[in-house]
Amino acid sequence: MKHKYLVPIPFLFAGLTAFLFLSFFASLMLGSASVPVNDVFGVLWKAAAGYSPADMTTYDHIVWSLRIPRTILALTVGAGLAIVGVAIQALVKNPLADPYILGVSSGASVGATLVILAGAFSFFGTYAVSGAAFLGALLTVVTVYILAQNRFKISVSRLLLSGVAVSMMLSALTSFLVMMNPREEGIQTALYWMLGSLSGAAFDELWLPVAVVALGYCFLHQSFRSLNVLVTDDATAQSLGLNIESFKAVIIIITALITGVLVAFSGAIGFVGLMIPHMARIIVGADHRVLLPASAMLGAVFMVLADIAARMLVAPEELPIGIVTAICGGPFFIWLLRRSNYVV
Amino acid sequence: MKKMIVILSLLFLAACQVESKETTASDSEEIKVENQDEEIILKNAPERAISLNQHVTEIMLALGLEDRMVGTAYLDDAIHPDFKDAYEKVPVLAEQYPSQENILAEEPDFIYGGWESAFQNEAAGSRKELEQFGIASYLHESSNKKNPQLEDIFQDIENIGKIFQEEDAAETLINEMQSKVQEIKKNIPDTEKKEVFVYDSGDSAPLTAGQNFLNTLIEIGGAENIFGDLNKGWATVSWEEVAEADPDEIIIIDYGDTSVEDKKTFLNNHSVMKELKAVKEEDFTVIPLSEASEGIRAPEALEKIVDGIY
Repeated sequence: MKHKYLVPIPFLFAGLTAFLFLSFFASLMLGSASVPVNDVFGVLWKAAAGYSPADMTTYDHIVWSLRIPRTILALTVGAGLAIVGVAIQALVKNPLADPYILGVSSGASVGATLVILAGAFSFFGTYAVSGAAFLGALLTVVTVYILAQNRFKISVSRLLLSGVAVSMMLSALTSFLVMMNPREEGIQTALYWMLGSLSGAAFDELWLPVAVVALGYCFLHQSFRSLNVLVTDDATAQSLGLNIESFKAVIIIITALITGVLVAFSGAIGFVGLMIPHMARIIVGADHRVLLPASAMLGAVFMVLADIAARMLVAPEELPIGIVTAICGGPFFIWLLRRSNYVV
Repeated sequence: MKKMIVILSLLFLAACQVESKETTASDSEEIKVENQDEEIILKNAPERAISLNQHVTEIMLALGLEDRMVGTAYLDDAIHPDFKDAYEKVPVLAEQYPSQENILAEEPDFIYGGWESAFQNEAAGSRKELEQFGIASYLHESSNKKNPQLEDIFQDIENIGKIFQEEDAAETLINEMQSKVQEIKKNIPDTEKKEVFVYDSGDSAPLTAGQNFLNTLIEIGGAENIFGDLNKGWATVSWEEVAEADPDEIIIIDYGDTSVEDKKTFLNNHSVMKELKAVKEEDFTVIPLSEASEGIRAPEALEKIVDGIY
């Protein structure tokens, strides 16, 4: 558990915080429309002074109603996926695990595609896609959990295998829905959704993902000791006094809820939940007390930067952010991996 | 934050009520148009419109509205030659859909979307959201329903005419299209109904037209689409079914990277398709994708279909 830090921890977190602020402001200033810097700060000033949106100029709107909510969503989703990744990797003790390993994203995709292509769940109104995605995600995790448990004992390999099997079936279902509707207008929308995008962010809905990620973080962080024990083998964990079965169940529920909500808001953004925990481990080591905040901050910064790229790379059009996270994050991760002598 | 939004929206509502009283007192010249089961109410005709997708851009230009457009985007192929000059006056915002930021930066007051995807988050954003920014929007209804008819296009043109207070231009355009269609219909001989197969793309299985606008045009042209009973717009079918139907005519849709020549070569070499009478006799009709859309090109597409079949 002892880890030689590259940088002293307080400096590291000071640096990460600075990065967080920098990327936040960069995200407000950069985008496909060129907004003068004065207007970017002007709108913050106006908001602080209690301006009404009706008095806002076009540039104010671009910053206030588009860029700020989506930056906050990016921070939240990045941090959320990263901490879920940490918890899941501790749970299944497998470096390949990510937040979607229990089928959350494939379940959510079926829900979203059903709405987008087949017009199901219309009683949800404007929340149909998010609602159906969330439902699909939860139903899938519950199914995987039931398949994996045996007299209330969860075996990790059964969990992983049933997760993979259920995911495969659901992906096939999504493909089927897409194949049955060639040329249908919704296909592009569905594809965008599956690759993930933050462009739907709106102020009046932001509280939900922010609250879920904040609460989830608090829970995970206060149980950092149990997480540290969980990565050892089950017998050791039990001998150290951890009620391992119930802790596993709680972790599964908490991570499923966080991932379900995030996927409903931003689609299934890949890479972040898998790679950020490893990056953080390379930098700060495996102690969850430090690993969790470091992952959260790294994830948040990374996601904001990826979203800036998604907006800028093919401007005036927009890329799904999932493409950016994988293409930009992959090489960086490989570089980091080659430089260090990191072994999980 | 939530509290502030509530207060702000209350203030906004109050402001609106005062305004609406004033207008009813002076004169009630509001523009009202029904679109997708919702009523669009405008005080003034739009002056800064943006059109997304080719077929609705062409409708705007055919109504002579280019001076009231601040942007356009997403052509499928070249703009109709009649409107090339008008088109060049309008700034092109993006090859495909521009992002919401770019659209807002043009300060539009009206957005005319051809397909529902024009209002997805990665494009203009939802119509509800646009409304919050004070931007009215219209979704081309005939492109977003099953089995659209010519009348549905006319209804859309009429609505756009109303919105821009150019009702006369809209009526002229509709009459023109209608008389062209009548003219073409005269050329349809009174023989047995010919059977038509629409080939869009695909090699292991063909993508064809079900009940979309092309199917409507084929029916108006006095022929029958062999997959016209499929209850969806476009569908992937099997070569077996095509062979069984043995159509009299094949309509090839021209778009994208695969050229018409490639598609013809493919049909001529396909082990089953090359035995069909339509392929043997080279009974091919080529329709560009932009003509198969629900827009002003409908009479031209119809003419090609009728000429091709008879």
